[in-house]
Amino acid sequence: MRLSAAFAKGRSSWIREGWALWALIVASVLIIYGSFILVGAPPGQTSLDLIRGSLGSAARITGTLREVTPLLIAGAAVFLALKAGLFNIGVEGQFTVGGLAAAVVALRIPGPPGVVLAIAAGMLAGGLLALPAAAIKAYRGGHEVITTIMLNNVAGLITTALVAGPLKAPDSQSPETATVSAASYLPDILHVGAIEVSSGLLIGTLVAAGLWIWLKRGVGGYELRAVGANPIAARFAGIDVRRVILRAMTWSGAIGGLAGSVQVLGFQHYFNPDLSSGYGFDALGVALIGGSTPLGLFPSATLFGILNKGGTTIQVIDQVPKGITYVVLGMLMVIAAAIRFRKVAFVN
Amino acid sequence: MSMLPIAKSLALGTIAWSAPLVLAAMGGFTSERSGIINIALEGKMLTAACAGFVCSMVWSNPYLPVLAAIGSATLLSLLHWLLTQKYRLDHVVSGMAINAIAAGGTNYLNNRFVSIGTSQIQVLPMTALWAIAYSLPFCLFLYSRYTRGGLRLFAVGNDPDKSRLLGVQPQRVRLLGLVATGVFTGLAGALLFTSAGQFTEGMTAGKGFIALAALIIGGWRPLHALAACLAFGFFQAVQLQLQGTKLAGADIPAQVFTSLPYIITVVALAGFLGKSKAPAGLGRL
Repeated sequence: MRLSAAFAKGRSSWIREGWALWALIVASVLIIYGSFILVGAPPGQTSLDLIRGSLGSAARITGTLREVTPLLIAGAAVFLALKAGLFNIGVEGQFTVGGLAAAVVALRIPGPPGVVLAIAAGMLAGGLLALPAAAIKAYRGGHEVITTIMLNNVAGLITTALVAGPLKAPDSQSPETATVSAASYLPDILHVGAIEVSSGLLIGTLVAAGLWIWLKRGVGGYELRAVGANPIAARFAGIDVRRVILRAMTWSGAIGGLAGSVQVLGFQHYFNPDLSSGYGFDALGVALIGGSTPLGLFPSATLFGILNKGGTTIQVIDQVPKGITYVVLGMLMVIAAAIRFRKVAFVN
Repeated sequence: MSMLPIAKSLALGTIAWSAPLVLAAMGGFTSERSGIINIALEGKMLTAACAGFVCSMVWSNPYLPVLAAIGSATLLSLLHWLLTQKYRLDHVVSGMAINAIAAGGTNYLNNRFVSIGTSQIQVLPMTALWAIAYSLPFCLFLYSRYTRGGLRLFAVGNDPDKSRLLGVQPQRVRLLGLVATGVFTGLAGALLFTSAGQFTEGMTAGKGFIALAALIIGGWRPLHALAACLAFGFFQAVQLQLQGTKLAGADIPAQVFTSLPYIITVVALAGFLGKSKAPAGLGRL
């Protein structure tokens, strides 16, 4: 054990006793409810409206599932990197370039082959955007958080320049690509009553489930977890740590790009700079709250989907600004991380 | 067109653009040198600008809004300290959470408590804030080199374990470092709403991250970071100057210039711009 850990353990026993965690949770709830009351919205009613607005009818559930899909895939992207001990803050940028690449390919090649190629292009673009961060982390030791933040900004600016210039739809006033033809839409796979389930959600489910199996059974998955748990021990076990980091980050970027291409092909059908509207950042919360297995991504993506969809409702009905959902998100991230810390330090 | 007015407007543009970057970068300096990764500079600036502007609508006094800006950013900084040092959260998670809370919280305040088309607000003169911004790196340089507190800051950031053995308490030093971060990012936020005369959502527009980039390119050294901030501000001023004009016959989109700081940072992190040494204990307990 590192000396610092021994010291900190002795001193911060108040954390171990658990009430500090409760203090965090109670403070968060008080702040949220307080902010409801401050704008004259009764907290109980507002919470109900949030649930009703996201799950209250078939149309609303369809809308919530539309939110869940990108969150699930982008969450899987963050999760993969996280398991290797890397923070991929760059999913926002990978989502954006993936979406643009998919839109461009789908516009050139309509129909099902185009869809497959568009998804491949989106993943390639996302992976390529993550590659510098991956290589710098693996071979130069530069912190992946900083590089991915910088690449996010580059991705946002360059895609904006592209859709304002050469890739702009000729008949459009705003910076956006043309709409892809209906033959390139991702089809709905299921209609439960009036609830529409897009094949995008199926893709997300397959990604998360595939990740679960691969991490559990695959050799690569084992190596990745070993590197994430302890890179030095992994190196002595004969694992090529650099290669694992390079691959984990690049594939994480590719899945981020996949999320963007599904968003374009499945839901929005064209690209504009607002495509992501923060899914890449929400994804970090999804992955953190998901816990230690990819299966946890399903409930946490659903939770975030409900917050996103219901947040719009309470803005309209209760005049609570939508920003409050980001405050909730931030607090959930903190609480989830605080719980996980307790696990790491005191269960092992 | 003669060259003199262009040079003058470039210089002024650089000073105006770089000032908030310098303040935020110095906020990043005191935090990261004490070993705390701080990607929440953006959120702290944004919150400060919002709190400052809301207060300037309530009180017609030039000083109180600046105090409110500093206070709100310091509050978030203290939250960062509590989460990273007491709850021992990962610094990146804490930073992301604070950015999310800041973005959401300012949206909330702006939508419900900022009335559109407000009257003129009373503000401090820009030159006063600029003077603080541009003298700060020199003060911090001298402080970190020649004073006990400054040396302790570096010691804790480089090796918290050894500092402990020498009787320096890392958590206390970091508390002071983060309070300084709050004050400096608060001033940066004050500068933003002062120069704009209003608050708009997301008005920091990535300045917190550019400041972090400047800090990294400057090798976590105050004077080098100042130089990097001035360079970034100069890029921006050139871009504003060139807007609408063609360069070598081609229409270069503004975004190409705007993305330069970020690209340069990635190149610097790849180690192509000489070896820049991060504080060795960055992110450790």
